[in-house]
Amino acid sequence: MSLLSVKNLRVTFETETGPVQAVRGVSFSLGRERLGIVGESGSGKTMTGRAVLRLIRPPGRIEADEMRFDGIDLMAASEGQMRALRGQRIAMVMQDPKYSLNPVMTVGQQLTEGLRQRDRLGKADAVKRALAALEAVQIRDPERVMTAYPHELSGGMGQRVMIAMMLIPEPDLLIADEPTSALDVTVQAEVLSILDALVRDRGMGLIFISHDLRLVARFCDRVLVMYKGRVVEELAASDLMAAQHPYTRGLLNCLPRIGGSRGPLPGLDRSADWAV
Amino acid sequence: MSLIEVDNLSVTYSAKGRAVRAVQEVSLSVAHGESYGLVGESGSGKSTILRAICGLAPVSGGSIRIGGEEVPTPRGKRFASRVQMVFQDPYASLHPRHTIDSILSEPLAIHGMGDSDALVRRALSDVGLPANFRFRYPHQLSGGQRQRVAIARALMLAPPILLLDEPTSALDASVQAEVLNLLNRLRAERNLTFLMVSHDLAVIDHMCDRVLVMQHGRAVEELTRDALARAEMTTAYARSLFDASADRMLGAL
Repeated sequence: MSLLSVKNLRVTFETETGPVQAVRGVSFSLGRERLGIVGESGSGKTMTGRAVLRLIRPPGRIEADEMRFDGIDLMAASEGQMRALRGQRIAMVMQDPKYSLNPVMTVGQQLTEGLRQRDRLGKADAVKRALAALEAVQIRDPERVMTAYPHELSGGMGQRVMIAMMLIPEPDLLIADEPTSALDVTVQAEVLSILDALVRDRGMGLIFISHDLRLVARFCDRVLVMYKGRVVEELAASDLMAAQHPYTRGLLNCLPRIGGSRGPLPGLDRSADWAV
Repeated sequence: MSLIEVDNLSVTYSAKGRAVRAVQEVSLSVAHGESYGLVGESGSGKSTILRAICGLAPVSGGSIRIGGEEVPTPRGKRFASRVQMVFQDPYASLHPRHTIDSILSEPLAIHGMGDSDALVRRALSDVGLPANFRFRYPHQLSGGQRQRVAIARALMLAPPILLLDEPTSALDASVQAEVLNLLNRLRAERNLTFLMVSHDLAVIDHMCDRVLVMQHGRAVEELTRDALARAEMTTAYARSLFDASADRMLGAL
């Protein structure tokens, strides 16, 4: 049975000029695998991720024919039930550690907060768990990082702290929204291998949201390509080179290549039928 | 003679009483009309070199010459009319409460250039923006459009040199392609000299004739574009950076 199944998900925002649909009928199912969602900014990929956690504030509206996580109907769940799911069973790594960590709490306080409140652990045990979590994401000097404030960390460290925080409750599903976009290629590889190990060793499901087609192709099992709130193509990551949809092909073609021609890069033709 | 000459440049910041050596004895020279790239991981000092050239970073040693002349401190108007910079984040580098018109006409006013009306209109059309964008505010523009405005602003004084600090890393792939094409077209039309920073080797390869690989504030290795494409790097670090970019090779995905 699939871990998460979403059918005909729609996210609508009421604006002064009428309703805007950010997500327009997205359906997918996820097992214990790595699912990539790619698309440009504004394609609705982040909104899809947030909708699964029902993290869309009014006046935004979530509608779906079905949204089930491990047998639980997410559309019908009460706010209390959702709160029990969030973090514990479905966690989300947000895009920007600068804005998603609390700037006036040390990393240690933030990491142990949940353990103390939710799991009722004693201080010493909570600290021990937090240190182990930081070590698990390859932070070399976890004692120092525990006492540091978010602004004292580099982007890569901040991102890893976020991942560590999300992984402490051992969720069944992790939604990672551009977890590596702010990172260098070398650090990026490290973060990816951490996520990879978690999917493999713990059997966690992963939704990996990114604008980087090449990265998703290399890292994920399956890819959804989104454009303007719709899934335009779904394919196995290994088949991405053989993508049929003109949008996917356009996204692939507009990337510069080492050793490639230096002529103008092909732009994306948005005049075709699929683009409306 | 080289247009930009940086000789043994060092930049040292002091943070909490501790000296941070962001750039250590880096030398490079860029010929007239050339496009020169700087790559490396974050914290390698590549952006700091651009900032030092503009007088935005504390230079602790070495010299910077533009067209054979030592740059003055403070940099002054003459420098501004010869060297301009385009920053990474198009959301942070435009004044949020100034219209595009006032953003573009400010350098003209400072330099006492007349006919700003015609120059602003021309600048917009040169970077491929419609004329009715002129009285919009930055928040009414997309990231790619803002970066076009930033490029237009940098070119208002018709400088021969552009310093580009990750000009496309905040943009989507398709928008990146448009902005890179724009930069290449402007460079060809106006015979501009580029000094460009990027962490993406494929972007550097597409844009630059030569590239300097940096790590921990030091220059590691300089490569020509051909040497890069043929993977003829000699240092282990440049090699590892290249290997991490293997998916950006021609023929790869």
